[in-house]
Amino acid sequence: MKKPYLVIIFLLGLIIALSVVKAVVYNRLSTSGVFVSQVEVEIGSYKTQNAILSEELLKTSSLTNVAQRALALGFTSGNSPMILKTSRPLAVRP
Amino acid sequence: MKWRYPFVFSLLVILFVLIIGRLFFWQIVKAEMLSELAKSQYNGSVKIQPKRGEIKTSDGFPIVTNKISYSLFIDPTLIKDKNATVNTLSSLLDIPTASISSQLLPDRLWVKIESGITALKKGEIEKLQLPGVGFEETYARFYPEASVAAHLVGFVGEDETGKKGVVGLEGFYERFLRGKEGYAVELHDALGRPILSKRQEINNGSDGGNLLSSIDRSVQFLAEQKLKDGIKRYGASGGAVGIMDPKTGDIIAMAAEPSFDPQKYWEYSDAEYKNPFITNTYEPGSTLKPIVMASALDAGLITPQTKCNICAGPVSVSGYELHTWNDKYYKDTNMIDVIRHSDNTGMVFVALKLGADRMIDYLAKFGIGKTTDIDLQGETDPPFKARNAWYDVDLATTGFGQGISVTPIELLTAFSALANEGKIMKPRVVTAFENPNGEVLKIPTKVVSTPISSKTAKIMTQILVNAVENGEAQWTKLKGYRIAGKTGTASIPVKGHYDPDSTITSFIGFAPAEDPKFIMLVILDKPATSIYAAETAAPVFFDIASDLLTYYGIPPSE
Repeated sequence: MKKPYLVIIFLLGLIIALSVVKAVVYNRLSTSGVFVSQVEVEIGSYKTQNAILSEELLKTSSLTNVAQRALALGFTSGNSPMILKTSRPLAVRP
Repeated sequence: MKWRYPFVFSLLVILFVLIIGRLFFWQIVKAEMLSELAKSQYNGSVKIQPKRGEIKTSDGFPIVTNKISYSLFIDPTLIKDKNATVNTLSSLLDIPTASISSQLLPDRLWVKIESGITALKKGEIEKLQLPGVGFEETYARFYPEASVAAHLVGFVGEDETGKKGVVGLEGFYERFLRGKEGYAVELHDALGRPILSKRQEINNGSDGGNLLSSIDRSVQFLAEQKLKDGIKRYGASGGAVGIMDPKTGDIIAMAAEPSFDPQKYWEYSDAEYKNPFITNTYEPGSTLKPIVMASALDAGLITPQTKCNICAGPVSVSGYELHTWNDKYYKDTNMIDVIRHSDNTGMVFVALKLGADRMIDYLAKFGIGKTTDIDLQGETDPPFKARNAWYDVDLATTGFGQGISVTPIELLTAFSALANEGKIMKPRVVTAFENPNGEVLKIPTKVVSTPISSKTAKIMTQILVNAVENGEAQWTKLKGYRIAGKTGTASIPVKGHYDPDSTITSFIGFAPAEDPKFIMLVILDKPATSIYAAETAAPVFFDIASDLLTYYGIPPSE
């Protein structure tokens, strides 16, 4: 009849141990607000940077921008594409 | 001394009752209020704003997305030098000083001065370290291609109910794009810092979904450029271009001029937001002739070789004398040449053969007189006369596209039957939805109706190829390519008459004729250089078609 006592003592010990662990963890977490705030600010700044860079990337890769740059560099549209209907000869007499 | 014991006892009882009563008051009567007060001290409710979904072109490029933007606030109680602050902000933000200083009343705490400030501008202002000036980060709509496809995508406006999509895709898919606002409750410590273990999400909102559209960014850009050039070249007051894949109903491009900048939508009038391709109605003129002709061919009432026995001169119907556009008449002309010459009397012959009942029935099958249900906000329900209002002259004029109104999208969709073996596909701009988790749901294509047989569509295609090869617009056709098409010069009804000096010119066609990759409708409003489509809309059509055929890598067939 000693076994039930052992179980009860074990359970009580477990409850006390878990309570202590919970108290310690909560205690540590409750004072981690400064760190959490810093992390959130840092995440926010990265998100902002990412959004700003994405905006720049999209602006730069837009056709509107590419067309403007191409025009400024002197490119014109090719109006006479060459179409090959038969295979090219190996040699052509000049 | 006996009275003292009962007195003290009674006093204690009364005090006890008072304490119990007070406790009852605070614990029971005011319990909810105290609980809320406590929560407000350590709980912070955080609103989680959903990110609005993007609209992507067929190559996956976000033609509409979000960018970070800032709102500038001022706390008037914290400003040290009001004049200096106002002057600095006025010059940096380009706002009149009076409009800033008038808002800085001493009884106000947090005054919004300007929104839509860029990160760069925010950095400039922050460097000045102005006391009492702060920013709030928000998301604003961003259009990397500026005003490209503005009528198609629409814009996000703001009214008393908040931000919402207006016209185009933004308006049509508002609920899907908007997403759902969420709330989270955060526990704070004594200094107001968040406690990590106690963050609970109460209402789990979600970001808006993305729309994957059929718009080809390159074709859209090309169509807009060519349309602008065409309007300038022919002195038109405006115009529109619609390009569709007839086999799927996918809108490849849709452009209209004058257009607007969705980033600065407030600088434009309501009329400029509307997409004329889906909202404007006009008399299609000769571009309706192939549809009427195809109906009569399909009904077995005529063949391409049928001769017109009333085409030797003007035709009289119910007392009205109907002429050809150039007053040239071709005796015993066949149906192929009726389309080639765009012969009005020939089309009166076809319409009278068809009769009012069959005409109405076929037009309904082609979708004329009803909306196409394209997924764009603002499509007009086109007017269509009731059967009892159809007189002989209405039947005759409908044969050549007058006295009937259509929207450009309605005509493009109806015409697509000729390019797609007689089948009309439901026009659409969005081909798939992408939810915030990245899952893609494809939308299947849908056959709306089959107004004519495949055989009739093929015959009509050959007649239209002949019209391009030998008709009025042959001077501008593309060498080596078989393109089926038809010009249309529509008169503009003004106070019961037609305006003799201005027209709406159009050209509709598809290429390559035997296996169409696209069907396109070009419309020019009131061109000044010529009132005829063959000299205005047709060259714009072939200019775009030439680049499209090269873009799709389609070589000439002849």
